[in-house]
Amino acid sequence: MLMIRSIIRPEKVDATLAALMEAGFPAVTKISVVGRGKQRGIKIGEITYDEIPKDLLMTVVPEKDKDFVIRTIIKAARSGDKGAFGDGKIFISPVEEVYTISSGVKETAGGEIQEVKI
Amino acid sequence: MKEVMAIVRLNAMNKTKKALADAGITSITARDALGRGKGLIDLQILKGAEKGYEEAISQLGGSQRLIPKRMVTIIVPDKLVDKTVRTLIKTNQTGKPGDGKIFVLPVMDSISVRTGLNGDVTLDDVE
Repeated sequence: MLMIRSIIRPEKVDATLAALMEAGFPAVTKISVVGRGKQRGIKIGEITYDEIPKDLLMTVVPEKDKDFVIRTIIKAARSGDKGAFGDGKIFISPVEEVYTISSGVKETAGGEIQEVKI
Repeated sequence: MKEVMAIVRLNAMNKTKKALADAGITSITARDALGRGKGLIDLQILKGAEKGYEEAISQLGGSQRLIPKRMVTIIVPDKLVDKTVRTLIKTNQTGKPGDGKIFVLPVMDSISVRTGLNGDVTLDDVE
């Protein structure tokens, strides 16, 4: 299991969510964040804006679907054909265990599924 | 050291905090999050649609709505992962869709800003 955290433009969120839904990965968590990137924010005249609002989409997928999901996100979240500064970043981190609270089902990175007895 | 990240219902936060404190896991970070799950339909909307309310029917198709949730992040030593997960499941389980998910991620190190110490000493320790 891998957690894909993508920081994208707020105006691209709807398109990305729709693309993920279409691709068969409906489960997403969205958090609004502020941040700056390699360009050190945006400088307009004398003022530097370095807390640019972005949205963080978090989704956990099996390892085999990683590339497909990443490509789906990139395609949907990129502005124009070539993209532009500020389109965001995607970070991947490993997830060892996933629990579904309602059923108590536990999934491990190896793909084993078992139920947690409370 | 592991990061236990749980997405739970808003109205379950108070009892979750209490249960975690009772279990000795006092340090948590929580924040607002919006999300959707596997796309299971809300029972109330389904019931409303069955009764013929237009508003409910319009919400059935496409299901793009994001539902407000609370994201709880807890960093615990390896030996406390099981206890944390069990406490979270026990307090948040209603059996209905939307109870949330718990993810367990590896963490490389933790450093206390105040003391500069690192490692398990910076985390909750429960005998």
